[in-house]
Amino acid sequence: MNIQKILLRFGPKAENLLAALREIQKENGYIGEKESKQVAEYFGISEAQAYSAASFYDLLETGKPVKKIIRVCSGGVCVSERSLEIIRQVERMLHIELDNDAHPKYKLETMSCVGRCDRGPVMEIDGKIFEGVRVEMVGEILKDYI
Amino acid sequence: MKIITRHWGKINPLKIDSYIRQRGYEALQKAVREMDPKSVIDEVKKSGLRGRGGAGFPTGEKWEIAAREKSPEKYFICNLDESEPGTYKDRLIAEKNPHQVIEGLLIGAYAVGAKKAYIYINGRYAEQAEVLQIALDQAREKEFVGSGILGSAADVEISIHQGAGAYICGEETALLNSIEGKRGEPRLKPLFPPVSGLFGKPTIVNNAETLANLPYIIRHGAQNYAEIGSKTSPGTKLFLLHGAVKNPGFFEAPLGIGLRELIFAKEYGGGMKSGKEFWFAQAGGASGRLVPSGKLDQVLTYDNCEYPLGSGSVLVVDKTEDIKDYLFSWADFFHRESCGKCVPCREGTYRLWEIAKRIRNGDIRERDRENVEDILWTLGNTTFCPLGKFASVAWSDAMKMFPDKIFK
Repeated sequence: MNIQKILLRFGPKAENLLAALREIQKENGYIGEKESKQVAEYFGISEAQAYSAASFYDLLETGKPVKKIIRVCSGGVCVSERSLEIIRQVERMLHIELDNDAHPKYKLETMSCVGRCDRGPVMEIDGKIFEGVRVEMVGEILKDYI
Repeated sequence: MKIITRHWGKINPLKIDSYIRQRGYEALQKAVREMDPKSVIDEVKKSGLRGRGGAGFPTGEKWEIAAREKSPEKYFICNLDESEPGTYKDRLIAEKNPHQVIEGLLIGAYAVGAKKAYIYINGRYAEQAEVLQIALDQAREKEFVGSGILGSAADVEISIHQGAGAYICGEETALLNSIEGKRGEPRLKPLFPPVSGLFGKPTIVNNAETLANLPYIIRHGAQNYAEIGSKTSPGTKLFLLHGAVKNPGFFEAPLGIGLRELIFAKEYGGGMKSGKEFWFAQAGGASGRLVPSGKLDQVLTYDNCEYPLGSGSVLVVDKTEDIKDYLFSWADFFHRESCGKCVPCREGTYRLWEIAKRIRNGDIRERDRENVEDILWTLGNTTFCPLGKFASVAWSDAMKMFPDKIFK
């Protein structure tokens, strides 16, 4: 992926940095040290600043994702709609544990509110959001990704 | 009385003419053609409008501070980085009537003399950002945005800035750092943003819902607005009801409404779901306090220091639920969203999360109980920004209200 090409779409001003990082994330999949260096050169900032910004945000990755990340919302409203039972169901079906890194292919995490509390519980796999998830639906949802 | 939701469903959010037909952008015309910036600020001050982000700071007074600053460069920012659990009001505002926010933003920028404005939107609101971009392009075509608005001398350029997933960026100084391309960590106050904000220039940060009130205030006058709702917190507010009520969803109601009315009245929550018994309510998302049934006569205003209304989200919990699940939910959220800048918050939220997991798994240790008290005090009193304090609020209430259900 040509990072330089992506960068040229943005003026090298501080206020465009986050937008550029988002775009690199989208097309390259992550912003590692190599990418940070190019970003820093283009924006005329230190590598540390570019990398520290990239490493701060939930939607930006600093390494190539190697596992499928399954996220379930643990906000209060989703919990009142039984999202913790969905977590248990995913744990049972994939033989993994919440927040545990041991499995080579999958990782289960909780996520913060995505602002869809009117359609909870919410889960996310590979950036795709599922709304109104019921325990019985988990198997069907996972089938397409496993 | 509807101000925010008045045109929802009646207009097409993707067509500016449909908003204009409802007399949209008339307030902007009135402001730039008939009023000078100072009289706009005076009008907003007289209306008594208070910030809808949660803190309830008087909007007009905030503007006045920035307007007094002599800097040639000023900024105005619409805070749409909504990410409080249980809150989706700003998302609705952006997708149902984006022009109302843009019009409010333009009026605000004109009043304080800011030539550049930003809409900082939650990184997860991709569709809403698109709706706003379309609205913005249309407003530019009509000469509402850009240089020489409607033939006047006012110039306001607006751009949309998408976040990338960080709750703390809703805090205004963290938001400024984020726009500047830095980590979204909060800054030391004072100086406050109206004096020294984005790139060190005077900056106003207003919540999207606050801005959506402005067209009404300018068009109908401060007097009219001040008579709606409670005397010290005038106007209406979007409330979101969740949990064990008959009709969960969003409602626009005058400020000063009682919590009991919001939950039980037919036109709002409609009471408890059949077979469910009220246990407690949490007002204001994960950062909100727990309200027991004996305190339901609380009114929801910005003066109510005992039970702040926060973002306006109310979660109703019934007696069949397990408090341990909620303790986990709150601790899980804040430990993930703590930015890591200050130690009490970074460590405190993390340890609280570990203890929450132990409480849920039933392997609570003797020293945990003592530690929880310590951690909650530290979070409540020593953190750099309010996030740490928020993390302790619901936990502290739960410890006082149901200690037997937590440690047994």
